[in-house]
Amino acid sequence: MKILEMNHIKKSFDGKEVLQDISFSIEEGEVVSIIGPSGSGKSTLLRCATFLEQMDDGTLAYCEEPVVTRDEETGKISYPPRKKMREVLMDFGLVFQNFNLFPHYSVIKNVVDAPLCIQKRNREEVFKEARELLAKVGLADKENAYPCELSGGQQQRVAIARALAMKPKMLYFDEPTSALDPEITAGILKIMKQLAQEHMTMAIVTHEIDFARAVSDRVIFMDGGKIVEEGKPEDVIDHPQNERTQAFLKKLSY
Amino acid sequence: MVLLVLLMTGMLSAFAAEKQDSEASPETTEQVQINGVEDLDGKTIGVQLGTTGDTYASDYEGDDAGTKIERFNKGADAIQALKQGKIDCVIIDEQPAKSFVKNNPGLRILEEAFALEDYAICVAKGNDPLRNSLNAVLDELKEDGTLDSIISNYIGDNTGKNPYRSPEDVDHSQGKLIMATNVAFPPYEFYENGSATGIDVDLATAIADRMGMELEIQDVEFDSIITAVQSGKADMGIAGMTVTEDRLKNIDFTDSYTTSKQVIIVNSGETVQETGTTGKLTFKEKLYQNFVQDSRWKYLAKGLVNTLIITFFAALIGIFLGFLIGIVRVTHDKNGTLGFFNAICKIYLTVVRGTPMMVQLLIIYYVIFASMNMNKVLVAIIAFGLNSGAYVAEVVRSGIMSIDNGQLEAGQSLGLSFGQTMTLVVLPQGFKNVLPALGNEFISLLKETSISGYIGLMDLTRGGDIIRSTTWEAFIPLVAVALIYLFLVMLLSAGVNRLERRLKRDER
Repeated sequence: MKILEMNHIKKSFDGKEVLQDISFSIEEGEVVSIIGPSGSGKSTLLRCATFLEQMDDGTLAYCEEPVVTRDEETGKISYPPRKKMREVLMDFGLVFQNFNLFPHYSVIKNVVDAPLCIQKRNREEVFKEARELLAKVGLADKENAYPCELSGGQQQRVAIARALAMKPKMLYFDEPTSALDPEITAGILKIMKQLAQEHMTMAIVTHEIDFARAVSDRVIFMDGGKIVEEGKPEDVIDHPQNERTQAFLKKLSY
Repeated sequence: MVLLVLLMTGMLSAFAAEKQDSEASPETTEQVQINGVEDLDGKTIGVQLGTTGDTYASDYEGDDAGTKIERFNKGADAIQALKQGKIDCVIIDEQPAKSFVKNNPGLRILEEAFALEDYAICVAKGNDPLRNSLNAVLDELKEDGTLDSIISNYIGDNTGKNPYRSPEDVDHSQGKLIMATNVAFPPYEFYENGSATGIDVDLATAIADRMGMELEIQDVEFDSIITAVQSGKADMGIAGMTVTEDRLKNIDFTDSYTTSKQVIIVNSGETVQETGTTGKLTFKEKLYQNFVQDSRWKYLAKGLVNTLIITFFAALIGIFLGFLIGIVRVTHDKNGTLGFFNAICKIYLTVVRGTPMMVQLLIIYYVIFASMNMNKVLVAIIAFGLNSGAYVAEVVRSGIMSIDNGQLEAGQSLGLSFGQTMTLVVLPQGFKNVLPALGNEFISLLKETSISGYIGLMDLTRGGDIIRSTTWEAFIPLVAVALIYLFLVMLLSAGVNRLERRLKRDER
C-alpha cells in the first residue's frame, strides 16, 4: 500500500518556483532519503506533505485516500475541512531540525500530551508506553527533567519519542541532525536505523550521505525544485548518472 | 529597606516645605501691595476654575500690563498658592473668603469688593417643571424665615446656634432629588465630621423635605456641576453659583436665594509674626490635625478602599479583554481568519490608546452613561477596564509573537488544533515572557485611578484632597497619599517578581 502519494506538486514563494511539478510516493515500510543542495526544495516538499505549507497545485493522498484534490476543469485544488485534516495529521509524526519541544513541559509531559489531549487514550496506558519509548531512546532516567536541562541530542531523542507516542503510520525527519554536534549525531542516527529495521515508514531529509546509503531503500536527489535522480542508494550515491548529482556528491567528498 | 526609603522621602519633603515657608514670606512683603481693583493690572490673580471670579477676572487676562490668571480646581488650592507667594491675590466669593482668612491669619480681604452677584440654583435647560417647583419652595422658605435662619447659622454672630432640622413627620416618598455641588466652599458647602454641610446643603435638605423627596449629594469638581445637571446625572446644582449670561446659555437658574460679593484676598504682609503668635503647629500636632481630628483618616481609608476596588476589577476586565483581543489579532495575523473582529479590535485599540484616560472617563460618565444613574465606582471600573484592555491586548500580542513559530508547527504536527496549540503551548510560554510588561501595566493602572475624583468619586487622591481643603495643609495629606500609592506599587511589584521567579523554573 502506498502510505503517501503526491502528484504534480507546485509551490512558489514570492514568485520563485521552489517546487516544479514534483511527483513522489512512499510504500508502506519503505525508508526514503531526500538529499540535495540547500535551496533545492527538499524541506519545502516535506513541509507540503505535512501541511505546514499549502501547495499551489497538485494532489495528495494518504493511505490511498485522497486528501488534497484537484478540480480538473478549473485547476483549483482543495484541502479537506479542518476536522478531517486533523485526522490525517495524526497519521504521521514529524521530527524537526530544532526539536521544538515544549519548554514549559517536563520530558514525560511532552511525550504524553498529545495522546492524552487529542487521542483521549487511557492515561495509565499512555504513561506506560511513554516510559517504554523513553527507555528505547535511552532517556529512561530523564522523564522529569525539563527540555532546557537536556543536551541537543537528548532533546532530539525526546522529540522522536514524542512523535512515536502518537503511533503514527509514518515518520518525517527534517534534517534531524543538522543542529547537533557530530559525536551526538551518531546516537540519533542509531535510533533511526533501529526504527528502519522495525519497518517504520520514514521520509528523511538529510545531509548525512553515509547514513542515507546505510538505511534507505530509496534515495531521491533534488536540485532546483525538481527530482533529478532517484533509485537504490548504491546507484544514486555510488554511481550517479546525472551530472548535477555527481557534482553535488563530489563537493561532499574531500 | 522599605521603611528607610519612606522615612527619607518624608524627611526630605518636610525639609523642603519648611524652607519654602520661610522663603515665601519675605518675597511677598517686598511686592507692591494690592489695595483695590485698580492695582490688579500686571498681577498674578488666583481664581477657582469656572467660578464667576474666574469669568470676571478673565477680562484682565492678556491685557497690556501682563496680568496673569491662574485657575485652581479648589478655592483652598488658590489660598495655598497665595500663602506660598506663588500668586499675588485671590478673587473669590465673600463668605468662603471670610472663612479662609479666619483660618489663615496672614491673609486679609480688601474692603473694595471686586463684583456683586446673586446666587441661584441651576437646573437643566428647559426643565421648567422642576424650576417652577423649586421657585415655589424657595418663596415658601423665604416667607416663613427658614432661609434666613439657615444662613444665620453659618454667617454672622449666631453661627451654629440654629441648625436646620428636618420636620419629624417628614415624608420622603416622592423619590430622590440629586444635588451636584463641590464640597470645598465654606460656608456654603464643606465637610464636617465626614459629611457635607453648609448653607447650600441645608437649603437643599429643606427643599427636599418640602418636596417630599430624599436628598442625594454628589460631590464633583465645580466646573463639572453644570455638565452633571445638563446630562441628567443630577437634578439641580447648588454651589454658591452666580447667574451669568454664559451659564444661561447652557442651563436655567431659579430665583436668587442669596446675594454675595466677589472679594480680593491678599497677603497682609505680617505673616510671620501673626502665625507665630497664634502658635505654629508642630509636626506632631499637624499629624493629629490632619488624620486624627474629626476622624479625618477615614477619608483616606474610604478612598483607599475605592481605589483598590476600582484597580482590582478594572484589571480583571483588562486581562479578559486584553487576552481576547490579543488572541483575535494574532489569529488573524497567523491564519488570516476573523477579519471582521480584527477590524473592530484595531479601531478599539486606536481610539483607546489615542485619547487621554481622563477624557475617556469623562465621556463614559457624562456622555455614554449620562441617562443612567449608575454607581460611580462601577462607571470607573468600566472606564479603567476598557482602557487597560487595550494596553494588555498589545502586551499579550507581543507575548504570543515572542514564541517561535516552530512551537506552533510542533503542536500542529502532533494534531493539536490551533486553539489547543494556543492554550496549551503558546500562551503559557508567552505569559511568562510578558509578565514584567503586564506588571507595569497594572502599576500604571493603579496610579491612573487617581483621576477618579473628576467624576466626583472619592478615591485615595480625592480623600487626601478633602483633608487638604479642610485643614489648609498641603504637605501632610499629599505626602501621606503619595506614600500609600508607593507602598501599594511596591507590594504589587513584589508580587509580580515572585510570580516571575516561580515561572522561571523551567529556564536555565
